[in-house]
Amino acid sequence: MRLWGIIRMANRSLLRNKLRTFLTISAIFVGSFTLTLTNGLGDGLRAYVENQVKNVEAERVVFIRKQAPVAGPRLSDDEPAEYREGENKDENGLDPSAMSFTLQQIESITKDIPGIKTITPHYSIQAEYITLDGSKKYQAGLGMLSDGVIQKTEAGRTIDGKDQVIIPHGLARALDANIAALIGKHATIVYKNAAGELKTLSLEIVGVATKGFITNTNSFVDVQTAKQIYDDQKTGYDADKFFNFSLQMESVSDGKLAEVKKAFEAKGFAADTMADQKKRTYDAIGIFKIGMNFFAMIALLAASFGIVNTLIIAVMERTKEIGLQKALGLSRGKIFLMFSLESILIGFWGAIIGILSAIISGVIANRFLVSSYLPSFEGYDFFSFTLPSIVSVLALVSAIAFIAGVFPAFRASKLNPIESLRYE
Amino acid sequence: MLEAVNLSKTYISDGISYDALRTIDLKIDKGERAAITGRSGSGKSTLMHLLACLDEPTSGSVLLDGKDISGLSERERNVLRNEKFGFVFQQFFLNGRETVLENVALPLRIRGWRESKIRSAAKAALASVELEDKAGKRAKDLSGGEKQRVCVARALVGEPQMIFADEPTGNLDSTTGKLLEDMLFQLNAARGITLVIVTHDPDLARRCGRVVNVKDGRIETDFGAKGEVR
Repeated sequence: MRLWGIIRMANRSLLRNKLRTFLTISAIFVGSFTLTLTNGLGDGLRAYVENQVKNVEAERVVFIRKQAPVAGPRLSDDEPAEYREGENKDENGLDPSAMSFTLQQIESITKDIPGIKTITPHYSIQAEYITLDGSKKYQAGLGMLSDGVIQKTEAGRTIDGKDQVIIPHGLARALDANIAALIGKHATIVYKNAAGELKTLSLEIVGVATKGFITNTNSFVDVQTAKQIYDDQKTGYDADKFFNFSLQMESVSDGKLAEVKKAFEAKGFAADTMADQKKRTYDAIGIFKIGMNFFAMIALLAASFGIVNTLIIAVMERTKEIGLQKALGLSRGKIFLMFSLESILIGFWGAIIGILSAIISGVIANRFLVSSYLPSFEGYDFFSFTLPSIVSVLALVSAIAFIAGVFPAFRASKLNPIESLRYE
Repeated sequence: MLEAVNLSKTYISDGISYDALRTIDLKIDKGERAAITGRSGSGKSTLMHLLACLDEPTSGSVLLDGKDISGLSERERNVLRNEKFGFVFQQFFLNGRETVLENVALPLRIRGWRESKIRSAAKAALASVELEDKAGKRAKDLSGGEKQRVCVARALVGEPQMIFADEPTGNLDSTTGKLLEDMLFQLNAARGITLVIVTHDPDLARRCGRVVNVKDGRIETDFGAKGEVR
């Protein structure tokens, strides 16, 4: 018998027991539906994060902060620690000043490491408002773009010198519908100094940031401008201490980056690049996806027992039919193939229906969620369905179905024709 | 010509062996119509299964046109049954939910013919049992006599050398049974298809001419068409 003939017969056998086939497919459907949705959610989140962070590039920059110590006394459930006067004072809380450092302290660590171009503290600065000649005054969040960090722009370019500012997309549109026309104009930024007096700075608009996590609301200035504002605003004895620093390296060589990271980690700092941070986020999404897929796999496992059950009953019901087919010359291999195909077809159709339903539900959910709960996802899909993930669900489910069908198909193939024809 | 030489079949179950057939020697000529008779448990069905290559003998051999077919591989026996033999069973073994045409087409599907060829051959086979107008009906909607004629068409469709019929009229009333017998004998006469009919109906056995009576796994009597001892 030809393969097409066998597929045809397998299909007809399935259609003969429509209700049973439908119910078995339904179980597979549930599993495939869940698997497709969880995959879609993971891919959607990943694409979202990718879209957000791709606005900022910093391949030569290492970000430094103090590794947070574990707060509170080190107590264990089983062995309460005995109190001794003066012994556990330091462990009782987090001291914020222990988390911040002067530029000199950082330089004392980097002085033996060649290849570091610049060290920038993260100046924390505030503005009162931002305005353009003749336009309204707008409230402004203000940030600093560290040396070596590149902001992607919708118009213009990233910061490359002194007295420059990149403004967020929303603000740019409010100032001028044609955002490109803003490039090269001077914006006025007004901030309060430590004494509470209003100070004014005129900065060149060099770019309009593309939409993203960090850049949705903030305007960014160059490091020198940030330092100037910071120096004007600083108060208190800790003003020269900073929580975060960024190191710009001369080159992007991995060995160099690793050396810097090691040097800082040895001193109790957390040192990482943007790539590390991205990787951590993707790993977290990956683990989330695996966790969700695990539940979908349990559903598929349950469904596969349904397939085994359905096919065993089919073999019993069709014992005489199989006996006749064998008597008329159908080989064991083809009987096995026929039942395997029935099983794969159950898996295949279950997967197809599950995937299609998941995509439809996902598309509806995307619209609904964006319009109600997750406006920041505008322009992105909460559930994202990619061809490779759909194909892999289809292949995986069909493979599971095939494996489920092996035992019944084998049983059918080794039936003895004479005994089968006598079977009551 | 189909020939059994020193054919024996022993079943072993739970350590007890049971001789279903003991050293059978039998020749059935081409175009002959042979009835195998005997009581139930005599071994007549086992003999048919061995002759039809549905089962393997414990010892001895079956020769088809002088060629030993009992030593063939399973695959070769599958092909042999499909191409050289047709089968009619007492219980029909039709697939009730499939169409009559689809039931008749089964041996050719197994053989792997093209769809168009299968359909025309199945229609021709149905025409020769005068059921061409039922081709599109579901098999379960036919009467008993019609069902068995469909089985004859299914046995015929592959243009076999021999048809093995196991109690073909066992489930039919005597009138329809007679009609079916006529049909089988007419095919035998017109196309030279050798008939081997297992039956315990003495009338049918007599109409066949050649009567092989099996008792306790041995051939007790074997009479030719003219009453001669074979």
